Amino acid sequence: MARGLLLAGACLVMASPFLWMGLTSLMGQLEVFSGGSILPQAPRWSNYPEALTAQPFGRYFLNSLVFATAVAAGQVATSAGAGYAFARLDFPGREGLFMLFLSTMMVPAVVVLIPRFLVIDALNWIDTYQGLISTELVSVWGIFLMRQYFRTVPRELEDAARVDGAGHLRIFWSVALPLAKPAVATLALFAFVDAWKNLLWPLLVTRSMEMRVVEVGIAAFHSTYEITWPYQMAAGVTAVLPIALLFLFTQRYFVRGIQLEGIR
Amino acid sequence: MVSGVRQPVLDSLAAVVLAAGLALVLVVAAGRLESARVGAAETEARMAAALWEQEGGGADAVAGLLGERATITGADAGGAGPGPGAYAYEAGALEPAVRIAVTPPPADGPRGALPVTAIAIALAGLMVVTGWVLARRRGPTRTRYPVGIAFFSLGCMGLTAVAAGRWADGELRSLSAGTAAQGARAVEIALATGAGPDGAARVAQLPWAQDPSLDSPTEQWTMPAAVAAAIAASPERGARTASTTLSAMPERDVETVAPPSPTAQDASAGTPTIAPHTVEADGATWHVARTADIHVAFLGYERTASPALALAAAGGLAGLLVVLVLHLVQLASRPRALRRTLAAWGLLTPAAALILAFTLGPLLFSLWISLHEWRLIDPAPLFLGFDNYAALLRDREWWSAIGNTALFTLHVPVAMAIALALAILTRGSRRALRWARLALFLPGITSVAAIAVVWKWLLSDQYGLANRGLERAGLGSVPWLTSPDTALASLMIIGIWMVAGYQMVVFQAGLAAIPRDWYDAARVDGAGSWQRFRHITLPGLRHTLFFVLVTSIIGSFQVFGLVYVMTEGGPLGATDVAVYHIYREAWEFLQFGNAAAMSWLLFAVVFAATWLHFRFLDARRAHG
Repeated sequence: MARGLLLAGACLVMASPFLWMGLTSLMGQLEVFSGGSILPQAPRWSNYPEALTAQPFGRYFLNSLVFATAVAAGQVATSAGAGYAFARLDFPGREGLFMLFLSTMMVPAVVVLIPRFLVIDALNWIDTYQGLISTELVSVWGIFLMRQYFRTVPRELEDAARVDGAGHLRIFWSVALPLAKPAVATLALFAFVDAWKNLLWPLLVTRSMEMRVVEVGIAAFHSTYEITWPYQMAAGVTAVLPIALLFLFTQRYFVRGIQLEGIR
Repeated sequence: MVSGVRQPVLDSLAAVVLAAGLALVLVVAAGRLESARVGAAETEARMAAALWEQEGGGADAVAGLLGERATITGADAGGAGPGPGAYAYEAGALEPAVRIAVTPPPADGPRGALPVTAIAIALAGLMVVTGWVLARRRGPTRTRYPVGIAFFSLGCMGLTAVAAGRWADGELRSLSAGTAAQGARAVEIALATGAGPDGAARVAQLPWAQDPSLDSPTEQWTMPAAVAAAIAASPERGARTASTTLSAMPERDVETVAPPSPTAQDASAGTPTIAPHTVEADGATWHVARTADIHVAFLGYERTASPALALAAAGGLAGLLVVLVLHLVQLASRPRALRRTLAAWGLLTPAAALILAFTLGPLLFSLWISLHEWRLIDPAPLFLGFDNYAALLRDREWWSAIGNTALFTLHVPVAMAIALALAILTRGSRRALRWARLALFLPGITSVAAIAVVWKWLLSDQYGLANRGLERAGLGSVPWLTSPDTALASLMIIGIWMVAGYQMVVFQAGLAAIPRDWYDAARVDGAGSWQRFRHITLPGLRHTLFFVLVTSIIGSFQVFGLVYVMTEGGPLGATDVAVYHIYREAWEFLQFGNAAAMSWLLFAVVFAATWLHFRFLDARRAHG
């Protein structure tokens, strides 16, 4: 019982910024500065439409959705192929190449930021979807995850397909990949969320409001309307909500991903 | 190794790959030259613009200087923009709509490298013949053949790289001499349109050196004493006093020496000396030209770039290609292995190409950038060697940013302790955990910008939840984000809040891996809960703890979003962390070279931290 109370207390502390955000988002502009109760006197729902139309947040959400979805799809595609090759196809130099891939995980993102930006700039891809997406399409963590998963797939299934005359690519596509759906789901979720909350890269490669993603939009909205806290909080709630819902319904994939990473 | 492969196939393949590698090397060298040509065009465009607006020369003067290569467009002229490859310069305040576009000066083209290419091709032919001879022999020599080819092609590539580099150097030298001559001619034209020596010097502007002996109101166009001395000592002309420095781009310096002295009025006075010569000063080659009594000195393009790194990368890539092709050829005798390898390559290609293009390539490119003064606006960056790094070692603000980052990482152990407590708390009671997990976990996976805004409001001085709570409890308010003493600590609290839930989940996995029997056995032996934690849980979690520590520290070295949205590095630089510092250096001050050097230093710090931890872990393993 004491343990339950302690846990409830911890959860309350952890959740308090979100609760505070929700409460403030329903207050009047001057009410927040009155120093009165932290509960809104009368919920002011119109904060939401007002905040979300002050800047083109609809467009921001669309951009975030396109960006995160494309990144998730790309990472699944590249990681599944590479992971399968590393797990199942014996070829000369496999271990060396895998170590080379893994070692790139040590590189802090900021080291490659400037050259990536210059490359995208040289391609004239600044402020385009392809500029936003192309650098994020591969994830070494994803390759590692898929490799680990493919190793657990029983070889007998593949051998059976081989006896039937299927080639390597065919076995990968119709036998191994369908069996790896849980790993694919985990990878896709992580890729989606990581792309969604990526601030620095979209900040660098987008210029116009039409190409802005939600993260950059929230930051820009904050610096433009510094003290309109209820509006800021309303925008914040709408930015947090999609990820919260996504997590609520898929949390076992998240947990599995983190634990796979943690155990090794 | 090559048994079963027909030798001619191998030979011709190797020759083709070698030729491709050589071509690549030449292309890189040509690219370096091209960037210097664009730089020269920019220099000339600036001179032309200065002639136009400052000395009242107008279109005629520009045409006199650059002839056909300059296109002048204005708003009323409505002309087309600068043509492809031209460098456009906007001529200043008087007629803001005027644009002067300059086509780069012509270059000879890669003819200079032809002899080397011929030699390389001859060597490739030699290789084919050797291969053919060796193939007829039996024994160990033959089996080492492919490795021999790989080394041999690398050697050819290296030779070509050196030769191409020398060729490009020659071209660059003549380009620099041409620019110096153009500077001299620009000065001449300015003098002809009635400008004084100082005004004439200004047509090739450079704001860096200062010499009080010149009566320039800004004292900007002066030549470094060492260069002036070198010119005075050079046999061709006796320049007496340094007076004017001109330059095309900042820090790529065109300079003039203008001693309006009566003894200089010799027979050649007024006749421009268009044939420039070079002097050595300050460890660099300066191209000098003289017109009337003004000397123009220009720091040549030779210093701009030595393509060693790019060439090495190209050579390495080509060498790799050779090895890969040889592999395939070898495998051709074993169809199953060949098919497997081809399938693997096919599946790996997208990932490998992306990693090469956007991680490994940029990694080398970043190192290359860090050796230059590199700004987005400069067509040809200035090669500095390790100057950026040397300057950084003495840069207080940078080290303060590193210090702030290191301080910030101190939140990791605290967060881990909290996360471990939470993980132990939530053991077992799995069903009630769904919502609790959302509350604990959400901070780590949701929008960083939104979190930063919420916390900024929560910690705001007068109306924030934190201070209102503290005041209600009679503790007085805290200037969370507005005082240099507390701002970083506030960010650390947020850092703890963000990572604790994620770490908790990792710890739960670690805890689940510890056999329950151990606890039962300990309980039978009469161990208390602290003893069980100390002697079973902690040792059992050792690897997990280590993993979380290293990844969290690496992650916290890269904190950016919180600082960017909440404090912008302030107050008084108290929260200026490394990544934010690099971001500003690159995208606010446009010093890409400097920022790249910083990122490499940060990389070194992170790498050292990881390495030390691994060493520590190994030592612990060895003793325990």
